[in-house]
Amino acid sequence: MKLFNFSQSRSLWMMHFCTGCGAMEMPPTMTSRFDMERFGIIPMATPRQSDLLLITGYLTIKTLKRVVRAYEQMPTPRYVLGFGSCTINGGMYWDSYNVIKKLELYIPVDIYINGCMPRPEAIIDAFLKLREMIAKGEANAWKKYIENYEWYKKNQSEVFDVEKWSIKNEK
Amino acid sequence: MLKNGVLKMKNEEQIKKDIETTFGELVKVHIKRRHRIKVDAPKNMTLPILAYLKQRGFHQFTLLTCVDWIKKGMFELVYNLYSLDYNVHVLVSTHINRENESMPTAINIYEMAFDYEREIHEMFGVEFEGHPRLGEFLLEDWKGMPPMRKDFDTRAYVEEKFNVKDLTKELFTRKEQPYRGPGSNG
Ligand code: SF4
Repeated sequence: MKLFNFSQSRSLWMMHFCTGCGAMEMPPTMTSRFDMERFGIIPMATPRQSDLLLITGYLTIKTLKRVVRAYEQMPTPRYVLGFGSCTINGGMYWDSYNVIKKLELYIPVDIYINGCMPRPEAIIDAFLKLREMIAKGEANAWKKYIENYEWYKKNQSEVFDVEKWSIKNEK
Repeated sequence: MLKNGVLKMKNEEQIKKDIETTFGELVKVHIKRRHRIKVDAPKNMTLPILAYLKQRGFHQFTLLTCVDWIKKGMFELVYNLYSLDYNVHVLVSTHINRENESMPTAINIYEMAFDYEREIHEMFGVEFEGHPRLGEFLLEDWKGMPPMRKDFDTRAYVEEKFNVKDLTKELFTRKEQPYRGPGSNG
């Protein structure tokens, strides 16, 4: 198990769900200036091949439907990283009619980066922290989603029509 | 406006004169500043003015906006046109009632108006007569009052939709922690 965790932590394929302003900080993080590939993290195109889901900023309800869909397609173990204050409590969209306020009500989040907008250094820092957590076997928010599936579904159904938008979850 | 000829507004004045001679008393034309003209038109004169301006050289339909003058009970629709030849913006503004009044669509003159009209229909609830595809555009599954109207109470809506008791307090202080399931490490 330890070996498994170790290997898992050294090779993270991430899908960055480019919502909000955070997507702007991803190109410098990915490319040569900050170069996250040295930590074994590479961008991946589809959720079915990735381990890490980045939510880069505010989510509207319309996007949340797609995020939940993408999240449910990812193979376990899967990790979620929330960017910026918008994912924590709505940030500057705290009274917006269309932006969700707390991301962790709808999908479980392993680690948050605060700031508006977090710099690439902060993002790299979060990756390192996440890597540590995975190696120690601490990053198991994805288990929460499976164990408390009904609770998450209930929260989701408060903001959108879950029936229409869910896919069958293969646990 | 400077007198020594540094800021000449030849184009602007010519266009103003042309509109006034064509439409006479029906519309009011103001030169707001250099490169900017505002035309106040009644509802039934708006489309003729757009058509006239288009053949006068205003080929670019930049934007259609809407302003909600709730105290007057009016929506103001502003058609933003631009001409590369003259380097002049023309804002054609018209007022319609907030309730039960529709506006004929401008897509036969400027095709660009298509999506702007859809957006304004969705955000303000303005009906555009003759538009083939008013309906869901940016918002999804939206029911109730369009969100950009002044009488739409955003905070009340948010408190109800996201199940928050007092928005100004709860989201900032986060007293009540979200549920930590048995699988959590915290
Ligand atoms: S936290 Fe700030 S930078 Fe990030 S998505 Fe929200 S508003 Fe944009």
